[in-house]
Amino acid sequence: MSLVDLMSTAKPNFELRDRILLKLGRKDLVNCYQCIKCTSGCTALKLLELKPHEIVKLVNLGLVEDLPSSDIIWTCVTCLKCVQRCPQKASPYHVIIALRNLAVERGAKVPEGYLKIVSQILESGLAEPPQKIVTRKMETVDRESAKLPKIKPPKQTFQAAFMKAMEEK
Amino acid sequence: MKIAVYWGCCIQANQFAYEISLRATLPKLGIELVDLSESVCCGDPVKSVNDFAADFLAVRVLAQANLTGLDNLLVPCNRCHFTLSEAQDNMKKKPQSAQKIINLLKEEGLEYNPNIKIWHTINLLHDHVGLEKITKAAKKPFRGLKVATHVGCQLIRYGDLGRADDAENPRKLDELIEAIGAEAVDYAEKLDCCGAALMRSHPDSALSLAGSKLKAVQGLNVAGLVVSCPDCGLMFDVKQKDAGTIVGAKFDVPVVYYTQLLGLAMGIDSKKLGLQLNQSPAEKLLAKIST
Repeated sequence: MSLVDLMSTAKPNFELRDRILLKLGRKDLVNCYQCIKCTSGCTALKLLELKPHEIVKLVNLGLVEDLPSSDIIWTCVTCLKCVQRCPQKASPYHVIIALRNLAVERGAKVPEGYLKIVSQILESGLAEPPQKIVTRKMETVDRESAKLPKIKPPKQTFQAAFMKAMEEK
Repeated sequence: MKIAVYWGCCIQANQFAYEISLRATLPKLGIELVDLSESVCCGDPVKSVNDFAADFLAVRVLAQANLTGLDNLLVPCNRCHFTLSEAQDNMKKKPQSAQKIINLLKEEGLEYNPNIKIWHTINLLHDHVGLEKITKAAKKPFRGLKVATHVGCQLIRYGDLGRADDAENPRKLDELIEAIGAEAVDYAEKLDCCGAALMRSHPDSALSLAGSKLKAVQGLNVAGLVVSCPDCGLMFDVKQKDAGTIVGAKFDVPVVYYTQLLGLAMGIDSKKLGLQLNQSPAEKLLAKIST
């Protein structure tokens, strides 16, 4: 479903919009006057057709029902140019992050990698396990052979605290 | 200066060259590194899942830094640097969630200290150590060596947070290059993104971004590409071949961390700077330096 379809067929859900505004902790979003500076500088525009100004407009109109299940919110490369350049501080990047959080909360389709990382952190503290790397001369090197200090895992209290934090919405 | 250091996941998991070269160069410039007592994610990849939990992880890192009793924290990864800086800002701007985080930390016997100053390699070297001292330390300056720099997105944006350099015209990395006698060329694609954040959802597009930038750099006829972020390093160095496949090009661009180049200029042996670990043809750059 394209964003244009969302605009013409969806019904506004202002409750959900207010939740997003609350999550953002500010109301600057409504000040967007569609100057399109965000989209004209967007790294993901050329490759994946992300148009941040459309997402901001949809949220402002309350047309947020279908956005969390749309693949478009996962195309942002988080270069932060839109946050930097927005004259109204509407900050499309933060809107996209809020929509991704909603997608997870609603059990919508989320790229697998993100959820894997959460369990990885829960297990070991780190988002990715230390690896063995192969050099240009085909030698295998790990932290130990590179004479780097050992990774220090978090203390036992960490898991419970992180799980509690993950329950917050 | 004695400074706490938070390495983050990417450096510790596979970008050993950055860690090795930081550990080799900084102490020689009067910077003593103190490792934190735990290695836990900064929260960056969790932002897309639950931004409160991401902030919790970031503030927890700052609380870990607080245990060292030091007021300065070095964060050599751009993404970690951004995540910690934004979490520090959120602690001021979102009092309700800040209180929840403080309570969670209390359960673990940890305490948040809002006054910790977060540094990155680039502004620590440029603003604290200073260009003059670096020039003096560079016993073997690279006269006539031309390189391209890639600062990375999250180190310079967004300005409201107070970032390590200017968002639209970052100069510090270039000046650090000049301080060791080399030249940093200007090029149109300088601020283009490496694509790392898309690897989880759209890996082909991510590699295409890295590939486009490498194409531009290869066309500059420079000795190499200098980076200062492990994610960017991963994309341009480790994934260089894959990026070439995606954009239909054959790359042989040496990609090195600034601290590796700095170490060479200081006369440190290339092995002690992890240059054997770069996947791109670093020997091409080394050959240019030694002649």
